[in-house]
Amino acid sequence: MKLAAPRLRLAAVLLVLLAAHLWLRPRLFPGRFAPDFVLVALLFYAIRSRPGAGAVAGLVVGLLSDAVSPTTFGATAFSLTIIGYAAGWLKAVVFPDNVLVTAVFVFAASWLRDVLELAASNALRSGALGTQLLVLSPAGALSTAAAAVVALLLFRGWLRSAPAL
Amino acid sequence: MPIGAERYGSRADTVAFVVCLVLSLVALALPEALRMPIAAALRRTVLLPAEAVESSASASREARQNALLLRSERDSFALAAARVPVLEAENDELRALLQLRGRLGSRFVTAEVLHQTGLSDGLTLLLSAGRRAGVEPLQPVVAPSGLVGMVLSVDPRTSVVMAWTHPDFRASAMVEGGKVFGVVAARRGETAGEVMELRGVPYRDSLPAGTPVVTSGLGGVFPRGIPLGTVQSQMSESAGWERTYLLRPAAHPAQVSHVLVLTAGLEADSLARAFDTVPPPDTMPRAPARGRRRQAIP
Repeated sequence: MKLAAPRLRLAAVLLVLLAAHLWLRPRLFPGRFAPDFVLVALLFYAIRSRPGAGAVAGLVVGLLSDAVSPTTFGATAFSLTIIGYAAGWLKAVVFPDNVLVTAVFVFAASWLRDVLELAASNALRSGALGTQLLVLSPAGALSTAAAAVVALLLFRGWLRSAPAL
Repeated sequence: MPIGAERYGSRADTVAFVVCLVLSLVALALPEALRMPIAAALRRTVLLPAEAVESSASASREARQNALLLRSERDSFALAAARVPVLEAENDELRALLQLRGRLGSRFVTAEVLHQTGLSDGLTLLLSAGRRAGVEPLQPVVAPSGLVGMVLSVDPRTSVVMAWTHPDFRASAMVEGGKVFGVVAARRGETAGEVMELRGVPYRDSLPAGTPVVTSGLGGVFPRGIPLGTVQSQMSESAGWERTYLLRPAAHPAQVSHVLVLTAGLEADSLARAFDTVPPPDTMPRAPARGRRRQAIP
């Protein structure tokens, strides 16, 4: 019973991030560099859970993301499985309540997700691949990291009390 | 101290990770015949509420923009506000779409391009119209400026479009006037939506820059006369047999927000008249009379 409330708070934060992705994102950030709130939610969950649970969460989120772009079905699942597992594993060396560490961590995870997804889908090559990985992906990762920092500052109390699952 | 530092990376976690990784690789390797139904099933079940929320957010954004448009028509100050580049571009697109609707008659379905994330943006598009609206696989999808792609799969309320930027996309093309024919495809490796190429042009035919290229109607999927792009420059010639040209595309899939799905039963030249790309009568190719063949997917 002791852990129920912190877990509920973590679940509430994840739901808020999901709602922000579906409801707020299309309204406020229609462009290509919109923050990925689902990735933030996945990382917040994975870093507070065991690596295996992070991998399973990554697979589920990835498969759902792949459903809306079926020609590269599996690419997002592949990348988010690795990201989810790595995030759960890295919690030994990451302080999830530190704003700067969270920003760097989310930025790196977002960029790595793009690298893995592009490698798995084989969608771009040569110059376009370089532009995507060196310009567009870092810009998207930056906005996602900013969103993660805002979410962390807003829900710091709830996230701090969230247990390692 | 970092949380959970005392327990991580057990054997069970490793097993879970390996299983998940294998499952994702299996999903990646699935043949298209299995991949599409699974994705459609996910969209129809788990993602249905998410799609509804996102649709509502999109509609809300559009309603807000329409309100701005109406205000701009009444008030000169609001008109200045409507000159914000993004809003102006969308207004232009909607106006052009309305004009195209008038010229096409009633054999089409209008659809909104739903917001979607991911690096495959521009390769496939998710439309707000599906089987219930009369959309079927292999139907052409156009924007006011030209061809966007073709319908790949259809759900009851949504459909997935393969844009011309997709590596598997092909369309039979001709130069306006029907003198030169070729095959248009996306330029592999370029940034999605920027360049297409016209392949298979006979070596004896040379196309100057700026020449408009339209669909030829051959193959039965795309009706004749939909603009594809304009010749930008010659890219290569293979041993005196054929030339390949770079085209500047007429429509950019990543930038369209509203499209028309052309349904069956269009008259032979209605599209050429709608897009103002009518070739001389003596040079018109003959399209197959009945039945649609799968042209775009090899």
